[in-house]
Parts: sequence; structure tokens; C-alpha cells
Amino acid sequence: MSTFQLRVHRALDDSKLAGALANVSAQLRTRRTLAFQSLPDADAVRDHARKAKLDTLRDLPAHLATFEANLRANGVHVHWAEHAEDCHRIVLEIAAQHQVRRVAKAKSMVSEEIHLNESLERAGLEVVETDLGEYIVQLAGDRPSHIVAPIIHMTRADVGRVMHDRIHTPMTDDPATLGRFAREKLRQVFLDADMGITGANFGVVDTGTICLVTNEGNGRMVTTLPRVHVVLMGIEKLVPTLADLDRLLKLLARSATGQKLTAYTTLISGPRRGGDDGGPEAVHVVLIDNGRSRLMASENAEILGCIRCGACMNVCPVYTSIGGHAYGDTYPGPVGAVVTPGLRGLDGWADLPSASSLCGACRDVCPVRLDIPRMLLTLRRDAAPTHAPRWLRLAMAGFAAVVARPRAYRAATAVLRRVLRRSAVDGWIRQAPGPGRAWTTARDLVAPASTTFQQAWRDRGVR
Amino acid sequence: MTAKQRILARLQSARGGSRLPRVESPALQAQVPQSAEACRVRFEVEAAALGVECYVESSVAGVHVRLAKLIDARRVLSWDPAQLPYAAGGLLRAPIQGTAGRTEQATAEIGVTGCDAAVAETGSLVMFSGPGRSRTISLLPPFHVALVDRANILFSMADVFERYRERIRASASCTFITGPSRTADIELTLTLGIHGPGRVAVIIGP
Repeated sequence: MSTFQLRVHRALDDSKLAGALANVSAQLRTRRTLAFQSLPDADAVRDHARKAKLDTLRDLPAHLATFEANLRANGVHVHWAEHAEDCHRIVLEIAAQHQVRRVAKAKSMVSEEIHLNESLERAGLEVVETDLGEYIVQLAGDRPSHIVAPIIHMTRADVGRVMHDRIHTPMTDDPATLGRFAREKLRQVFLDADMGITGANFGVVDTGTICLVTNEGNGRMVTTLPRVHVVLMGIEKLVPTLADLDRLLKLLARSATGQKLTAYTTLISGPRRGGDDGGPEAVHVVLIDNGRSRLMASENAEILGCIRCGACMNVCPVYTSIGGHAYGDTYPGPVGAVVTPGLRGLDGWADLPSASSLCGACRDVCPVRLDIPRMLLTLRRDAAPTHAPRWLRLAMAGFAAVVARPRAYRAATAVLRRVLRRSAVDGWIRQAPGPGRAWTTARDLVAPASTTFQQAWRDRGVR
Repeated sequence: MTAKQRILARLQSARGGSRLPRVESPALQAQVPQSAEACRVRFEVEAAALGVECYVESSVAGVHVRLAKLIDARRVLSWDPAQLPYAAGGLLRAPIQGTAGRTEQATAEIGVTGCDAAVAETGSLVMFSGPGRSRTISLLPPFHVALVDRANILFSMADVFERYRERIRASASCTFITGPSRTADIELTLTLGIHGPGRVAVIIGP
């Protein structure tokens, strides 16, 4: 079994996980459906949003150059990072330049992708995640399992236990009380932090603006209180204008949490201006490639239009059965099955594109209509000659040779029909013989008919 | 070559453009113009649905009475009083301001602000950063009261973007506040006031 299959089996054996996933994903699905009812013209808005994202990607170098120029004109420092190590070095240099010791982080998927925290901690910085879910994940030494609901895999009792063990809060499983404990702890973190690190939901090219959406307010805290604000953003996050941003924001919160807008939508266009009360003295934006330019060269460049709403996870029959950890990397679910092999290469991730029934639910809910099933098929095709096990490749070559020759096909099916019919009871095969056995562990196989269609056709005297 | 040049060169040679699907987008429905009164009513409905307390006052005196009642005996963190609409600054006795140390600001029990615009369609308050208008005031205290001039209620976020494009670019930050601070990270159980204010009140003045 591959490590992916092991993770899947571990997840499927976890009945607590199954309950948590079923409950949360069902609620999120319903909320999304209801939220879209409040959006007039939703289909056209989705088309416009898709067009804005894909057209920007088509002309990305020019948009990146303009975005950088506008950021600089707004007083923002701009850095470019080719890969994870580049980004670690840049953030550490910024920290050194501003004598930073304590870092407060808002949720950022790209920082998970490049494993930033470990690197900053090794350099002696104190790093605290401030999104409630991410904070719990950090306390537990765990990993997030959903891009919007990071602790979808934990029950309230799990959370109470983690907080009790790690920060010695009184034992409780009441979410409001746990939230209050976290508020008290993190309030001091915000007040003490020298540097705030956030991701970016969107970068607006035309105005040189970073858009950040949060519900808790931690995003506002870390962009307001610390002296330095560092924005980590993938190079694919751009939208041309504020009008495009408006359409994408209409879709993002509805798709993610079923809200019309998140509680806080923050537009940041630079450091504090002369006379401002507060706000960071310096804002740095790090534009991160880390595999995106390679993805751009592939047939799956379309996946770079993803706005990370997580809706595809909540509808996916595979994700809702196995949860996010089984996918093994930062981005789980249908989008992760395309993004992870795209960013990291197929080695080690060739199983992921198969973690789908290709039912198309992800494509249906995607606010920017990404054709995820098509991209999964592309990856499966690419993986087949190099990453399928040798026995499977031989078996498939044999199968291809047989089905391409009518005489061999007829002979093979005759043998197979006889073998299978011998195992049948009342027209059903409960346990198939030989290698077919694995197939029948979880379902029955209907017995083949006594004569083939071609035989029946001939018997009727038609030729 | 710098990292930037290498990234841009890779993107150029990727010719991702040629493989990305082309999209035709149908025309969007034009937004139906809304009267100021319709915008105010929609704002109230949307804000109330978010759990925001909405008070509509028809006179300046009414605004003052309402604000005094909401403040009660709470310790106030405020915008520069001179910048509050309806001359409401006169009501505040030595409020903490955005120029004070963060720790002192964090002791406040209520934050009093005006706002630059409001969005009817989503029940949002729009606040630009600027002198005398620290972003902390709508963020640190557990209770936030915003004074809204009904003439500043626009229908949609798109309207705000259109009208304030230059100001968005010129300001360090522009925040759309849509209801109280909230989280649902633990089993999707809604908890208000996780980091920002758990209670938000809006006084809509004449």
C-alpha cells in the first residue's frame, strides 16, 4: 500500500472523523446554497469572475509588473521569492532589519505551503497563529485539514483537551468559553507583536491594493498593531480592478461560509500615512512562485484561478469521507488533488488525482467554474506511464492487446464468463476468484449472462 | 538574473495563456438605482440580520441621547472627538484616543467612531484610516458604536469602489465591517467577539 492509501485507510477507520466531516460539510453545503439565493445574477457574476481570473493569468507577467509598480508607488516594499527557502530568507531579513522578535500570524495557506513557521522558529523568533482554528492546530502540533475550517477534524472536546494540556485553561468543551480563553491569550500576542504576517486573498493590480478577508478580526489586528506587516502572496492572486474584486468578493464568502461578506474585508494600500494614528510603519509584500510558473506551463494552468473558498471540499464524496489529512499536503480536496501534484510534481503525489469519483460536483460549485475533473484526468494520464505500479502497467498493456483483437477478446471473455458464473449464487458473485477478490470485499458483482450479446444476436439469425 | 527576472521569464516561456480556456462573459444586470430611503431601510435589515443593533434617530439631539445611553458608564476609546459627526465629540469626557499607547487603548470598554460610508446591500460600515481615525477604535474594545450619516449609505460595494477608488489607493487601509467579530471554527458553533468587538451598534442620524 502507498502512504496515501495508508492515510486513507486510517481516516476511514476513524468513526469520530466521519461524524465530524459529515456534520460540518453538510452544514457548509446548505449555507452556500442559501447564500447564493441572495445573489441576483449569480451565473453572470461567476462568468465575470472566472474571466477576470483567467484573463489575468493569461497576461500574468505584465500584470505582475504593473502591480509591483503600483505597490511601490504606495510605499510598499516588494520582494520576489522563487521557492520556499527564498521566502524564508526574505522574511528573516525583514525581521532582522526591523529588530523583530515576536510574530503574530493571520491565516495564510501559502505560509503553510512553504512551512514558514518552523523556519522562523529555528531562527529564534516567536511565532503565534492567531486564527482560532490555526491557533488550536499550532497548540496541538497538528496540521489544518480544511482550508477554511482548519479544525474540521476535531470535536469540541478535542479542542478543550488541547487547550487544557497546552495552555492550562480549565477543562471545558463549551465553544464560547474556549473562544474566550483564546481571546485572552491572543489579545496579549497582538499587543506584543513586532511583526504581523498575513496572506492575501486578492491583489488589485490597478490600485496596488492587498485585500484580506477575515471573520475573527485577527487579520485586522496583525495588520494594525505590529510595527511591520509582511504579506505573503502567490503570484496568481491578482485581479485587474476594484470592480473585479467586488465580483470575486460576492462569490468568496458565499462559497466558503455562506456569508454575503465576511465580517472584515480589509483593503491595504501601504504603510501608515503621515499623520495617521497607528498602523504599521512598513509593509512588505513577498510575491511567491514556488511551483506556480511550472503549473502555468502545464495543461492545468486553469487551477491557478482558484480563490481558495473550499466549496469543492464540502461537496466532494471523497473529501467528506477521508478528510483533509489523507491528502498529505497543504491543499486537500479536489482542488488539492490538482494543486499539490502541480506545485510539487507527480513524484510522491501521483495517487492524488485518483482520489476522485469524477462526479463533477466540484466543478458545479466552484465559484469560478474550474474544470477540476478535466484536470484530474490530465494528471491521471500523465501519471499512468511513469507512476503506475509495474504489474498494473503490464496488466493494462495485456488488456489493450486483448480488446484490440476480436478473436482474442472473444476467447478471453468466454473463459472469464465461465469462471465468474461458477462463483455465482442466485445471479450474484459475493466473492470473486483470484485477483478479483479485492473488488468484492466491499460490494457484490452481478454474474455475467449465460450467452454474450453477440451470441444472442447470431442466434436470432441476424448477420 | 534576479528572482523576479527568473520568475517572469518562466511565466513568459510557459505560454500558459495559450492553454487557458477562453471565457466569454454575458452582460451583468445593471444595478437598479435605489433611493436614499430604500438604501437606509435595506441597510437596517441587513445589519440587523448580522446581529448589529440599529438605531435610527431623526434629530441630532436624538443621536446624542442614544449615544450617551449606549456609552453609559463605559470607558471610551474614540476617534478624535472633533471628527465625530453630529458634534457628538462634545458628549465624551476625556476619551482615550488612537494616539494613546496600545495597552491603554486595549483597556477601553467601548469604541466610538463615525464612518465614511455604509453599504446597504451587505449591512457594512466602511472606514478609512487617517489622522484622528485610528483603526484600533473599531477593533480593540468589545463594543463598537458607529455614527452613520444617512446620506452616506450607498447601495453596493461596487458603488463604494467607484466613488472612493482614489481614496482607497491613498489610504493605508480601508475596512468593510460587516457585523460583529465572529468565529465558527469549533464544530461550526457561532461565537461572537472572538478578537474584534462582539457587540456592534449603529446610530443612523438625520
